[in-house]
Amino acid sequence: MSTEEHLAKEKPKKSQADLLYEAQVRSRRRFSLQVILSWIALLALLIFIFSGIEFSIGSFTVRTIDLDSDFIKENLAFIAGGAGQTILICVMSIILATFLALMAALGRLSKFAPIVALSSFYVSLIRGTPLYLQVFFFFLALPQLGIILPGLWAGVIALGLNYGAYMSEIFRAGLSSVGKGQREAAFALGMTSGQMMLRIVIPQALRFAIPPTGNEFIAMLKDSALVSATGFVHELMWRATKVGRAQFNNLEALIIAAVFYWIMTLIFSSLQSRLEAYMSRGER
Amino acid sequence: MAPILKITGLDKYFGRLQVLRNINLEVNSQEVICIIGRSGSGKSTLLRCINFLEEPSAGEIEVDGLCVPAKLKGGERRKMVYDIRLRTGMVFQEFNLFPHMSVLANVMEGPVTVKKMDRTKAQQLAEKNLERVGLLMKKDEFPNRISGGQKQRVAIARALTMEPKVMLFDEPTSALDPELIGEVLAVMRNLANECMTMLVVTHEMGFAKDVADRLVVLHEGEIIEQGIPSEVFKKPSHPQTQALLERYRTG
Repeated sequence: MSTEEHLAKEKPKKSQADLLYEAQVRSRRRFSLQVILSWIALLALLIFIFSGIEFSIGSFTVRTIDLDSDFIKENLAFIAGGAGQTILICVMSIILATFLALMAALGRLSKFAPIVALSSFYVSLIRGTPLYLQVFFFFLALPQLGIILPGLWAGVIALGLNYGAYMSEIFRAGLSSVGKGQREAAFALGMTSGQMMLRIVIPQALRFAIPPTGNEFIAMLKDSALVSATGFVHELMWRATKVGRAQFNNLEALIIAAVFYWIMTLIFSSLQSRLEAYMSRGER
Repeated sequence: MAPILKITGLDKYFGRLQVLRNINLEVNSQEVICIIGRSGSGKSTLLRCINFLEEPSAGEIEVDGLCVPAKLKGGERRKMVYDIRLRTGMVFQEFNLFPHMSVLANVMEGPVTVKKMDRTKAQQLAEKNLERVGLLMKKDEFPNRISGGQKQRVAIARALTMEPKVMLFDEPTSALDPELIGEVLAVMRNLANECMTMLVVTHEMGFAKDVADRLVVLHEGEIIEQGIPSEVFKKPSHPQTQALLERYRTG
């Protein structure tokens, strides 16, 4: 190509546009580097605050918070063992929540009045009461009626019902993101309403709803800590409070749990943003 | 010969607004009819009443011997509406391809889901119809990867694969860039030559003049004039038709 030859010949010379663009890229890079460095500094400061180092400025002696390292060593593995339970609860709950959310969102679109009422009733009831109360309800109130659920199941049902109600709005948005034209095209081909939903609308709505569902999963990782309050599910928070209270090392125990929650959130957030990038590729 | 499509006394209201007034139209097999009129004259609504995407308020729609009166309700009506839709194919202004399916899957969707056709057979049929619109080489692409004109040709292939008795075109070129209109009109011209029965709502007066066997002019929900295109163009009898065609001649 003649333009390429042209460029090759005049390699050292850059156009004004190139120079401006490069300057823009450089300043953008510099800025994100500054953000990363500040992050590292903040993290270092946080670690320093809990380092237990003693130092003096003149006659004034400063002592940072001293953590009980023996306690940490002894209990780290025990607390970390709860991470698996936390993830297990969240995976099961998000599956239940996704199913309920889809049902509730479809229910809202029904032509049968009781179904519309049922789904809006469910969403209203759950969103109108605290998650904390719902968790206790399934652990503590149901046994009074003779219904005793295993701890894990009660937690999964409480979290799943709660998140299902909130996520139904996501699925509703997903369903309404599928244009009227899509439904009409399906009908014009002779599809029934059911075929239209299953083949045309729901697949497109799911594609819309999967990234926000990932966000809900990350929020749930943290909300699952509420399940520990009932004392039957040995997830991260339960383990941290158990050993923390017993040996009066709540500070260390909670910090360990916090680190694990944070790490899990970071990992799932990065997976989530990858998923989002993957899902948005080749959109209309 | 009995008409393949017969519209009798069709009225349509949107709320209190009457958009179609006592439409009577008979379409013979292999006839190509172009429906013209200003926007808001009810031409799209008329087309959409034929396959019940809009509920007719009064009157009857008969396609290939199957007659559905507007007053019929319930399960019997639903069954008949599905049958009417199997006998008609529709092409939309906005294409409405299914974006989550490849071009081939779009075209196969009708036979596989609606007619429960065996997949290999459906694929052969779909490929035959993609060939017909000249897009077999695009069968593995997704709709967002092809041009507007190509999308509309795929949409035509999708409708054809259901082997309808009548094809309904709702302003098939109105959403297209001017340079892409020709390829879609060419495909439609071919269909007309292959003796497909077609109802085309369009603003493409050139196409109407060349291809249509009959021109139907709609104004404020009424058929005000119909006839052989060359005659209607030469000597429009209704003042509204004159105004309409005048605009196209100068514009």
